[in-house]
Amino acid sequence: MLSLTTGLAPLVLAGLLGWTGAVKAFSKGTARTAPKTALARLLRSSDRATTVLRATGGVELALAASLLAVPATPAPGAATALLGAGFLGYLGYGRLKAPESSCGCSADENVPVTWRSFARAGLVLAGGVAAALADASWWSALGDRPAAGPVFLAVSALVLFALSADLDRWWLLPLRRTRLRVFGHPLLGGAPGEQVPVAATVELLENSLAWQAAAPVVRSALLDHWEEEGWRILLYSGVYGSGGDARPVQVVFALDATAGRDTPGDPMVRVSYVDADTGQALAAEELQTVPRRSALPMAG
Amino acid sequence: MSTRQDRSGLGRRRFLTTAALSGATIVGASALGGLDADAAFAAEPSLDPAIAKSSFVEGRITGITGSILEVAGSQGGHSRVQMTNATSVWKGRATTAAVIEIGDGLYARGVDMPDGVVAADAVWVNIVNLDTQIRGIAKNRIHLAHGQHELVGNVLADTSASYAGRGLTSDLSRLRIGQHAQVLGAWRPSDDSVDVVRISVGH
Repeated sequence: MLSLTTGLAPLVLAGLLGWTGAVKAFSKGTARTAPKTALARLLRSSDRATTVLRATGGVELALAASLLAVPATPAPGAATALLGAGFLGYLGYGRLKAPESSCGCSADENVPVTWRSFARAGLVLAGGVAAALADASWWSALGDRPAAGPVFLAVSALVLFALSADLDRWWLLPLRRTRLRVFGHPLLGGAPGEQVPVAATVELLENSLAWQAAAPVVRSALLDHWEEEGWRILLYSGVYGSGGDARPVQVVFALDATAGRDTPGDPMVRVSYVDADTGQALAAEELQTVPRRSALPMAG
Repeated sequence: MSTRQDRSGLGRRRFLTTAALSGATIVGASALGGLDADAAFAAEPSLDPAIAKSSFVEGRITGITGSILEVAGSQGGHSRVQMTNATSVWKGRATTAAVIEIGDGLYARGVDMPDGVVAADAVWVNIVNLDTQIRGIAKNRIHLAHGQHELVGNVLADTSASYAGRGLTSDLSRLRIGQHAQVLGAWRPSDDSVDVVRISVGH
């Protein structure tokens, strides 16, 4: 088994490096993805990152060729192991940079580092060592073990395939889609009730004339919400009036808990300003005189 | 804290319900739009006069002293945010200041005070707005790809979805693997996942 591994490792590695090298060196996508890589950060330039990525692709292609053409010599294997170690170091650098980018608040979200990338780089390192230790050419190893050889190659290819995140759309996503088709959609849940989610009520409110009328008074986002007798009550805080007359108020809206933005007809909203200190209703007349305004009817 | 508890107390709620139902009834639609979490991500300056006078604070919470949050801005700098009884707190849903923790990300809108503190009208804690692709769907989570970054979206009881620009619904069964999805959610620092609040697809 060991001699099989060391014997065929160059072939497997040549396949992997030939493919990744060709993609890096010749694909138009390299220039497009380069600015998103941790490499661009390391070098502080996406142009330089593109050059380095293409050069790495060239090195990978050269290594693939030498692994195939000069078997049973330690040099190509050792160089490949070195490349694998370099990949691991680079991934570790990207990983260190990842925590600050995971929040969504700051800029770089595209550090392509998952455990699979580490596993693949680790395999390149291990494969390089195995290839350096090989004492026979890969074709003689294949010839010696006509049954086990192809099986080993197939298994290795499958493992590398599974560890390559960029190939997911060819096998992982179709597999997951099939699972949903066979076992049903996991988020089917019970039939949605009569009531819409709170977010839908807020959305309806924000598209209503009542919101437009109250917007100059409302200062906070949604403070609290609850339901009572089919009404959904939404509570905001705000300031009514200006200058010395300004009063802190609570702005309460009441909406139909079953109505959303797609419910036909105009949204109907009850609204009141309540003085936060005294509990008095304020500006009742001002709100009463907001004219009714209908949305333009849809054609057809 | 007593006034906050009082505010969500049953008596207070009943009082406010009565106030709302006896208030003015306004019928009609408007395209003015919200002041809510979306406004936190509005690219262009708002025309709303209340917003124009507001200042914004963004960063990570490094300390909590009484009702003041110490915030280290993600572009450098340091701010102090004063929480009041009237400040709304969003952390995946409308909640209270008690759930804010050191290390949380914060986005706040408020008014500058003379002493340099920002008196917050509204704070959004750990809010994220991500352009993603749906990579997998399970019973209580959605696997998402954001750029080349993989992340887990937790599906909660009040997670809502919008399909092709339609209103929000609690029906998540029309999500498909491979779709592009805009995810508004709350980041969980402990396991780096995201609680999905709203997922919009097909628009």
